[in-house]
Amino acid sequence: MIGRATPGELPPRTLAVWCPDWPVVAAVLSTETATGTFAADPQSRPVAVVFANRVVACSAAARVEGVRRGQRRREAQSRVPDLEIHPHDPARDARAFEPVVAAVEAVVPGVEVLRPGLAVVAARGATRYFGSETRVGRVVAGAVRDAGHESRLGVADGSFTAVQAAYSSVSRHALLAEAGVRAPAPGEPGVIVPAGAAADFLATLPVQVLEDDELADLLVRLGVTTLGAFAALPADDVLARFGPDGLRRHALARGLGERPSVGHAAPPELIVTTVLDPPVERVDAATFAAKPLAEQLAAKLASRALACTRLRIEARTEHGEELARLWRHDDGFTTVAIAERVRWQLDGWLSGTVGQGPRPTAGITLLRLVPVEIVDAGRQLGLWGDAGAAQERVERAVDRVLGLLGPDAVTTAVLCGGRDVAERVRLAPWGEPRAVDPADTLPWPGRLPAPSPATVHGAPVPAELTGVDGVPVGVTGRFVATAAPARLAVDGARPVEVVGWAGPWAADTRWWDAAGRHRRARFQVVTADDRAWLLAIEDGRWWVESAYD
Amino acid sequence: MALQAVSGVDRASRLGQVQVGTDDSSLLVLPALAGLLPGGVLRRGSVLTVQGSGALLLALLAASSAQGSWCAEVGSPLLGSAAAAEAGVALDRFVRVPEPGERWPEVVASLLDGFDVVVVHPPQRRTARDDQAVRRLSARTRERGAVLVATAPWVGAGLGLTVTAQRWHGLGRGHGHLVAREVVVTAVGRGSAVRPRRTRVWLPAADGRIVAAGTASVPPATGDPDLAASVEWPPQHVPRSGVTRVAG
Repeated sequence: MIGRATPGELPPRTLAVWCPDWPVVAAVLSTETATGTFAADPQSRPVAVVFANRVVACSAAARVEGVRRGQRRREAQSRVPDLEIHPHDPARDARAFEPVVAAVEAVVPGVEVLRPGLAVVAARGATRYFGSETRVGRVVAGAVRDAGHESRLGVADGSFTAVQAAYSSVSRHALLAEAGVRAPAPGEPGVIVPAGAAADFLATLPVQVLEDDELADLLVRLGVTTLGAFAALPADDVLARFGPDGLRRHALARGLGERPSVGHAAPPELIVTTVLDPPVERVDAATFAAKPLAEQLAAKLASRALACTRLRIEARTEHGEELARLWRHDDGFTTVAIAERVRWQLDGWLSGTVGQGPRPTAGITLLRLVPVEIVDAGRQLGLWGDAGAAQERVERAVDRVLGLLGPDAVTTAVLCGGRDVAERVRLAPWGEPRAVDPADTLPWPGRLPAPSPATVHGAPVPAELTGVDGVPVGVTGRFVATAAPARLAVDGARPVEVVGWAGPWAADTRWWDAAGRHRRARFQVVTADDRAWLLAIEDGRWWVESAYD
Repeated sequence: MALQAVSGVDRASRLGQVQVGTDDSSLLVLPALAGLLPGGVLRRGSVLTVQGSGALLLALLAASSAQGSWCAEVGSPLLGSAAAAEAGVALDRFVRVPEPGERWPEVVASLLDGFDVVVVHPPQRRTARDDQAVRRLSARTRERGAVLVATAPWVGAGLGLTVTAQRWHGLGRGHGHLVAREVVVTAVGRGSAVRPRRTRVWLPAADGRIVAAGTASVPPATGDPDLAASVEWPPQHVPRSGVTRVAG
């Protein structure tokens, strides 16, 4: 396992293994496995993985055409009309990554998975064994290639820098040279940042790589755009302004590695185990058994105000095989995150269909969750963790509905300017910006005053509003009612007596446009059955616009 | 007195009183409506119907939405968004799926997984498949700890809310405009709610809020709402010239 830095010491040498655009690779691989056709490298075709109408990952070919992560689906499709789109499925990504992790584990033990597509492992022992870090890199890259995938590697002090080194290996050779880092030679899979050179290497990277959007936003507005500038700020000021989380990121920017943990190993009472009898071979049954276990662990951690940053998921099969995988999340796992990773891991072990994974030869009889590293949760995790978890659940639910009905089916309403009850409301599809233009709060003379009707009819409902003599009420050119309304018949029902009315509210819109001109008048009417209506008349026809129900 | 001093022990007479709960097992409602619900809160896992009034439905959602809950609405007709905003519903946390088509049960089921409150407008003509779906959705609501609100009769609903009397104020004959409405809301259900509960509410009041109404009786349906003749009405008249009032 990768140790933590003690203050004053450099963080331990870490190797990061990164398979770029992993969701794309996994999506294409699983479709190809399902259909039995194996086409060319997924990176050479424009492919994107989409979640809740936003692009989550895209292939190199799509990126060249201008597709970016975070773009709205429609925008991506407009740039590349024949973009291949796959739905986001983290379980599939994890399942596909399991053989890669197993391959790396076979040559360098103690792999920690940060997310499907990215893993880190301590490099010191392997370097002693293989002779040099370059050699370790070649061996690991070779192992991943044997598993059928391409990877990029980075070696540096601490996981954060190593991951950044791995990311940088695909570009910016000139900048690397400036930082005194040897750029990867052609054929070399990775970037090695010499010991002690982490701060220099990180200095030119933008603050967005800290993966904390709020902090990055603040820093940019304060004029701090690179990690070097952030690292130059005094630690005390950073703590005062940005809190302990900000201080943690400050330490990362300075190349000091991740924070020290509360305890070296989790106390035994935090380990949760469940025995599965009869042994479980199917993924869904395993997940069903794992969920209460994950919740149990989360509850134990929460009751002690702790968060888990490294979690080992262990399983034993009927034949005595022991399986283990370490997942890591430096910000602490939420309850949802723990349950998810257990599910993905079991899926990865039990399926073993994508690539050659270590498929267990029998069912799983024992499942154990070991929080290997725990930290103080602090108030932050609790407060934002729950809201974040709720948001995640909402996003997933919306994503499923979008999958059932199509990209525009889920909307939220935005109040924009206008006079009509209907004109004032714009339905923005989920994922699109809720821009307000023109603003609703500007004065709109001619708009009906509040309260607004609760039921707005989409299609007009015909009505008849007649005076005492039975003649339909009209509106003159100067917007005056021709008679006092006496009876209202809605949609062919029996006429009801009108007991109160007011109007007309004139709406003579687009008078300059012969085609688009509307001369409409609205009336509020209360009938003897105590119901209130918003009626409109145009071209001599009456209809019900809304009901105040 | 000795009983009160012991923590956790309370008088039996206090048990029926309304508590506006804030724990994880329930959602807040406006104080004006709390008296209609068992325990004074929307209990998670419960299924309700609100028939015949969009404003009452919005009022039911208002408090929890303003506190951060996510609500979803499935099927047409669309609830007026301006009315929703005036009632206090947060529009950015109020998701609409206006046209689910035949797959509305699957859509509702997916939404129950992530949302705190799901409003469903079941289609007018229901098939046997739909009836089965109704039962499954009620079960799923309980399982997921969401709240399901239907705007049509729903088998398995624990409580049904309707507006049984209403009176609009502010509209004369040829002048004024709709300003405020007094309603009587009736709640009938199963279990502890078998006896109908009624409460009088301003939905909305003249200032846009939804609050409990006073003790004056609601006049019969043929009452004259003419402004000049109205006696019980609170004097908060807003002039007719179309001034927009933004509530909240």
